[in-house]
Amino acid sequence: MSITLDQISKSFGSYQALSSISLDLSGGDLVGLLGPSGSGKTTLLRIIAGLEKADSGRVLFDGQDVTRLPVQQRKVGFVFQQYALFRHMTVAENVGFGLRMLPRGERPARAQRDARIRELLELVQLEHLARRYPSQLSGGQRQRVALARALAVNPSVLLLDEPFGALDAKVRKELRRWLRRLHEQIPVTSVFVTHDQEEAMEVSDQVVVMSQGQVEQIGPPRTVYEEPASRFVFDFLGHINALSGACTGPRWENGQAWLNLPPGLGCPAGNLTLYLRPHEATLAHRPGAEAHLPVEVEEVSVFGATVKVELAPSGWQADALEVELPRDDYLALQVQRRQQLYLLPSRLQSITANGGLGPVIEPGQQ
Amino acid sequence: MHQPRTLTQWALILLAVALTIMLMVLPLVLIFSKALGAGWELVAHNLADNDMRHAIRLTLLAAVITVPVNLVFGILLAWCVTRYEFRGRKLLTTFIDIPFAMSPVVAGLCYLIVYSIESRFGGWLFEHNIQLMYAWPGIVMVTIFVTCPYVARVLIPLMESQGSEEEEAALLLGASGLQTFLYVTLPNIKWALLYGVVITNARAVGEFGAVSVVSGAIRGQTLTLPLHVELLHQDYNTVGAFTAAGLLALLALVTLVLKSIMEWRQRRLLADTDTPSTTAQA
Repeated sequence: MSITLDQISKSFGSYQALSSISLDLSGGDLVGLLGPSGSGKTTLLRIIAGLEKADSGRVLFDGQDVTRLPVQQRKVGFVFQQYALFRHMTVAENVGFGLRMLPRGERPARAQRDARIRELLELVQLEHLARRYPSQLSGGQRQRVALARALAVNPSVLLLDEPFGALDAKVRKELRRWLRRLHEQIPVTSVFVTHDQEEAMEVSDQVVVMSQGQVEQIGPPRTVYEEPASRFVFDFLGHINALSGACTGPRWENGQAWLNLPPGLGCPAGNLTLYLRPHEATLAHRPGAEAHLPVEVEEVSVFGATVKVELAPSGWQADALEVELPRDDYLALQVQRRQQLYLLPSRLQSITANGGLGPVIEPGQQ
Repeated sequence: MHQPRTLTQWALILLAVALTIMLMVLPLVLIFSKALGAGWELVAHNLADNDMRHAIRLTLLAAVITVPVNLVFGILLAWCVTRYEFRGRKLLTTFIDIPFAMSPVVAGLCYLIVYSIESRFGGWLFEHNIQLMYAWPGIVMVTIFVTCPYVARVLIPLMESQGSEEEEAALLLGASGLQTFLYVTLPNIKWALLYGVVITNARAVGEFGAVSVVSGAIRGQTLTLPLHVELLHQDYNTVGAFTAAGLLALLALVTLVLKSIMEWRQRRLLADTDTPSTTAQA
């Protein structure tokens, strides 16, 4: 079932939580609502569910206006961040709650309900814990019970609020993959809220990046990452190094550091900020022909496939810099702490004077 | 906490024990020994007395009406205060405590001023053959007033700590408002609710100050047990006075046992509420 949001606005007192959000989420997709805390993503999720009323705007499911439909009739499955399992009911009773609440005419018989509960507990691999109480379960198990409970009533839409937020890193990864697989088995339109970029990138078909109550960009993870629509998206998705300097003619300068700018790159304000992703640069013993960025190695962290090198600018001003090198490059360079090296960026994103995204600079290819 | 070590520490403990015995245990023992001192027959005779029986009935009547009224009132109040955000919410929470803060005698007096025959409203009621003050309805009214905060006061912290997410989850799963209350809210608060009922009942049965103002002390008509104790005492009927007092003391002891059991359950529930969030942060 597709979800359409039409100019949704919501404020709490003087705080504008959402300002005129319009979105089209196609049926069967797994959508990640990504944004920093306070960006309004949970409020948006609660409005879709009907737990919160928008001040203005409409919510449509498959083209049908459900804005005024009470929570009970929206047929929305919702998984809370803290799971909100019924603490006085067993796992099986929790999962069966939605079926038990159906009006007499529609309610399946006891045996059918029990069969459905068993089927769902099998799906979430918890059939052996049916008689336990929520307080006897681990975080990951509670999470799966919450999901089974939400799926029991065959929801047309599944909403998950920070589904992995309260779990430790290892369980998180497992559950992520498991949710992805589950969504392939039961392709119900699902929206999940997260502040974790990696999570959104790994799990979703579509990512909606939000900031300060507005949608910054919507698209498949790869598009959002490779072609960010705004400075915020570029900044928020992955780590960035910000290099600010003055530009004189075709050259960017900051103390002893300089970069040749491609011809035609305007620099009307006299200042230019460049964003550099950690993996889009390398290090060398000599400065490049196009870039002269002397740095001193502060810290080296050898963990995983790439080596993270923290750098301090020498003879120019910038915040601490971070570069990720392939392991082979790191070994060839013999990087050591306190060593003087040169930073060679391969791709830089220029930021315009009004804070928008300017042209991309690729120093190696001039 | 650790074991007492020095002589001063032991002396302090001894003092506390001595004071407890002198101030609380001894009077309680005395009540029963005085009541039973002259033999069971006299106790039975006093219990069979018409005025005594009427006092017991009136006391029970007041409790039987007060407890359900304040049960409903307390749930409503706690629900409003913990589930909705509205202007004046803090003020309402403060208002709940008025009966705690105010002397019961003052409360009785207020009711007397508003509802007695001399007042305009009371006079109007009297013309329509309704008498509230110096009659049992007045006694019930002030008892309700004096005991109304107990249930709400027990429920508010629990419902606040439990939050409303379980209720929201129930609504999302298709439960109606009533179903949500019966299947989710009520089971979560039932022990706290019972605890509130027990202390409300204890206070309702023992209320003296407010009731004595509005009762008018008409023998055999508007005397509750606590008032009857005073009257018998003034009549130099020691056995009678202590028999009535013994009944009240017995009720108090039963209440105390029930209260301890429920406090224990309540503590466990609150502990349960805390566990998920702590594990979640870990």
